[in-house]
Amino acid sequence: MKECKIGVYVCNCGTNIAKVVNVEEVVESLGKMDGVVVARSYKYMCSNPGQEMIVQDIKNLGLNRVVVAACSPRMHEPTFRKALENAGINPYFLEMANIREQCSWVHDDAIEATEKARVLTSAAVRRVKYHEPLEKRSVPMCPATLVLGGGVAGLAAALELGDAGQQVYLVERENRLGGNVGRVDLTAPYLDSARDLLTEFITRANQNPKITVMIQSKLVELGGYVGNFQARVEDAQGDIIELAVGSVVVCTGYKEFDASRIKSLAYGWLPNVITSFELEGMIRKGKILTKEGNVPQYVALIHCVGSRSLEYHPYCSRVCCMTALKYAHEIKSAIPKSYVSDVYIDMHAFGKGCEDFYRRSTEAKTMFLMYEKGHPPRIREAGPDDDCGMFIWVKEQLSGEEIEIPADLVVLMVGMEPREDSEAVAHLVNISRDKHGWFIESHPKLDPVATTTDGVFIAGACSSPKDIPDTVAQARAAAARILAKIAKGEIWADAVYAEVDEDLCSGCRVCNELCPYTAVEYDKVKKRSHVIYAMCKACGACVAACPSGAIKARHFTDQQIFAQIEGVLPWHSNHVS
Amino acid sequence: MADKKLQIALYWGAGCGGCDVAVLDTNEFILDVAALADIRLWPIAVDGKYKDVEHMQDGELDLTLYNGAVRNSENEEIAKLLRQKSKIMVAFGSCAHMGGIPGLANLCKKEEIFKTAYLDNPSIESRNQVVPYPQTKVEVGELEIPTFYKRVYKLDAIVPVDYYVPGCPPAPHQIKTVLLAVVGGKLPPRGSVVGASDRAVCDECQRKKNEKKVSKFYRPWQIIQDFDTCLMEQGILCAGSATRGGCGVRCPNTGQGCRGCYGPMPNVKDQGAKLLSAVSSVIDSKDPKEIERILAGIPDFVSMAYRFGLPASMLQRSFQQ
Amino acid sequence: MAFEPRIVGFLCNWCSYTGADLAGTSRVKYPFNVRIIRVMCSARIDPTFILKALSDGADGVLVCGCHPGDCHYVEGNYKAMRRYALLKKTLRSLGVEEDRVRLEWVSASEGVRFGEVIADMTEKIRKLGPNRIKAELILDKAER
Repeated sequence: MKECKIGVYVCNCGTNIAKVVNVEEVVESLGKMDGVVVARSYKYMCSNPGQEMIVQDIKNLGLNRVVVAACSPRMHEPTFRKALENAGINPYFLEMANIREQCSWVHDDAIEATEKARVLTSAAVRRVKYHEPLEKRSVPMCPATLVLGGGVAGLAAALELGDAGQQVYLVERENRLGGNVGRVDLTAPYLDSARDLLTEFITRANQNPKITVMIQSKLVELGGYVGNFQARVEDAQGDIIELAVGSVVVCTGYKEFDASRIKSLAYGWLPNVITSFELEGMIRKGKILTKEGNVPQYVALIHCVGSRSLEYHPYCSRVCCMTALKYAHEIKSAIPKSYVSDVYIDMHAFGKGCEDFYRRSTEAKTMFLMYEKGHPPRIREAGPDDDCGMFIWVKEQLSGEEIEIPADLVVLMVGMEPREDSEAVAHLVNISRDKHGWFIESHPKLDPVATTTDGVFIAGACSSPKDIPDTVAQARAAAARILAKIAKGEIWADAVYAEVDEDLCSGCRVCNELCPYTAVEYDKVKKRSHVIYAMCKACGACVAACPSGAIKARHFTDQQIFAQIEGVLPWHSNHVS
Repeated sequence: MADKKLQIALYWGAGCGGCDVAVLDTNEFILDVAALADIRLWPIAVDGKYKDVEHMQDGELDLTLYNGAVRNSENEEIAKLLRQKSKIMVAFGSCAHMGGIPGLANLCKKEEIFKTAYLDNPSIESRNQVVPYPQTKVEVGELEIPTFYKRVYKLDAIVPVDYYVPGCPPAPHQIKTVLLAVVGGKLPPRGSVVGASDRAVCDECQRKKNEKKVSKFYRPWQIIQDFDTCLMEQGILCAGSATRGGCGVRCPNTGQGCRGCYGPMPNVKDQGAKLLSAVSSVIDSKDPKEIERILAGIPDFVSMAYRFGLPASMLQRSFQQ
Repeated sequence: MAFEPRIVGFLCNWCSYTGADLAGTSRVKYPFNVRIIRVMCSARIDPTFILKALSDGADGVLVCGCHPGDCHYVEGNYKAMRRYALLKKTLRSLGVEEDRVRLEWVSASEGVRFGEVIADMTEKIRKLGPNRIKAELILDKAER
């Protein structure tokens, strides 16, 4: 190993560090350490002059290692790595000691804080000696994309990619495209026809030569990694088709809540209690009738069936409130003499145009009854002398009274829930699900369509209940992310990943099961495991587990961590007594 | 060296003597040894006194094969003496290499060991109250026996060691390898482990390996095992994945889990910790209670993890008060 | 001089280290006794690290990861949990006191809790006294 020439840079961070830590004392002590050529302090190390100081020292003093004692590496590690790169040395020859978040900001005692800062920095010096130059590596990006699910999300993503001239395989389980939107008549709040909206999408998808539509087909296996997936799809004939794709968009949607789980609503027992989707079916056929074939006089809509309930799903299904208002309109226009009651908990009208739609609905002679979360409505059959088929008991919140309202037809606004196959799909494409079963995004706010598996994206209601505009936006966002990757033509894998030394690997396979990204692959012929670095995210689970010590975590090697342990535990002879 | 016979010594420290027997297990090769070498000290087989060794020049011996750990002052004294007189010091067998089975005594205190061996032992006369003391006064003067240390050491904790020949005991072919290497002057870099593989036992093990998920651990006699499948996958503890190969898969081939006698892999600092990692990695549960239940199937993991290497491990011994 | 424990904390990058950073940005005050080593995931923590820290003189070792079900690497914390369970068993057999080695889940938003964990652990180890392993190993030699 070349002789280590280390520069140590201790930041005052204005007074953030310097007011508690005696920075000069740290500098002086570190300057005496073996291998340290220069130790300096500066007001703001991350500022341009601060970085320039490091760059100049690297050039003038021939430094080959740099330790910066400053803030959290989560903050400025990229900044200082860049400085090293600018000075012409490998960026991974940097180590940071966190003496702000872990020292000056959390301790008051100047003597102890200074000693701790000194120890943390000296541990960084010991560690950096074992740092190795690391290079990022690239792999080619296959421009084709697999889109799972032919609902509105899958169609939007496929069209965005296909229109950009990229190959898309659109795989749909059912025998038609359109998904749940295909079961809907009009859409809230503008009362546009869902059919018109879908027909346009479906026609374009079918006509686009870049989009291969595969109905009655399903993904059975996905291997490989970002840029280089191999998908096996079973088509309608039961044949397995092998596809090479660089990205996957999961748009598998949702299913509706099974209303028969709530006994007090009598769904499946009283024939005129129906779900929102069953009402959509009637509307599409053009006739709203009771099971007996009569025109209902009293129609009731019950909100939050399965949603916003501790017993079933605690979340809001987001689309049902506006859909219920839409039904009120549709029922009123189909049966002008009917009485429509709308039984709700809160009216969620958050989307564009929705509040306005709500206001118009309140003017349309719908009776709104507010019930409390803990006291859901109950439905009972009416007697032979009553002029209605059923009664709904409601503990009305605004009046504070318990009342019974008449109904001939009750529509249950069933919420959304993950599909039964969501676990299997998650397993197939290697993504995670939350406690409800929805797919988890890489970051809920900043990275909502990516997942923890590179190259696998999620869009639409498979990650949480969503309306059509949000679904389409997500689908197009996922497509945009993929087009950006395709434009680059290659995937850069981070330089920090695990690596198997095949001369030490005995093929025991303890590591294989541990990798959450299936990046550790067993070669049956060689009888050795190896890491596909483009898939590795550097967690190090396999490294710690490898009983042979054959796997190395680049930038988090055993040697580096041992040096750091020794560094944070300086030995004092007065410990023996 | 062709005209001069190799000068060698074999010593038996704190061990069972199996390593000495292993030398004899080289069968007719032992005759070649006699032709190639003068055996200057081999307490089990050849007449020779410590005094003779003391009278040798420094470096007069070409090679010492030291088997056994260092448990008492005699072991230490002879280790130091032989080191001084030998060009090459070989830690021969698991005990010299890592402390071996005697090293498990580091889980107990010296007093406990004496109590078990001399006071509470049912085969000892019930009123016996005598435990060994280094000095005993008798009529004719004072008798001295070696001091029993409070713990066991591996050989290189006492003297510098040039080569390590692992195994409990080392396989006969390793013994040949070492002797022929010395004779031929073809020695690997000092500090090397000789006669073992750089890959773990699994490399040579013919059992089929799959991904591993274990929800119950068994002792080998508790289940009918499949001889074609990895023992660990069947819930039978096997140290093979954490142990250097080269032994010929002696234990797993007979249906027992590897016991780890060849020691840790080249990059590994603590064999037991690595076995711990491997074993805990295959447990198929995410529930703390269930994990505890599964682990309860391993009654004495520390003795499994450090069966041959406690004195060579990070902590070296127990610190029970 | 009063005994001041030295605790080595192995923290996962995504939750616990970020939680410790949050303790900093929120100016949560906690005892100075912990010295943090960052790893990407609690699953990277080789039991060898913990043994090494103990034999190098750490009075306590803290392992922190994301809460179960919340791991950046899907299930790394469960791997750490399983390893820790067997390690504790082993340490018990080696006479290492129960409170010296501890596993805690600390999320990125639990800066305050991170401070509380350090305060509690420091206090417990203060009561326990210094880790004697390194000293004992040196004293072993005195016998010879």
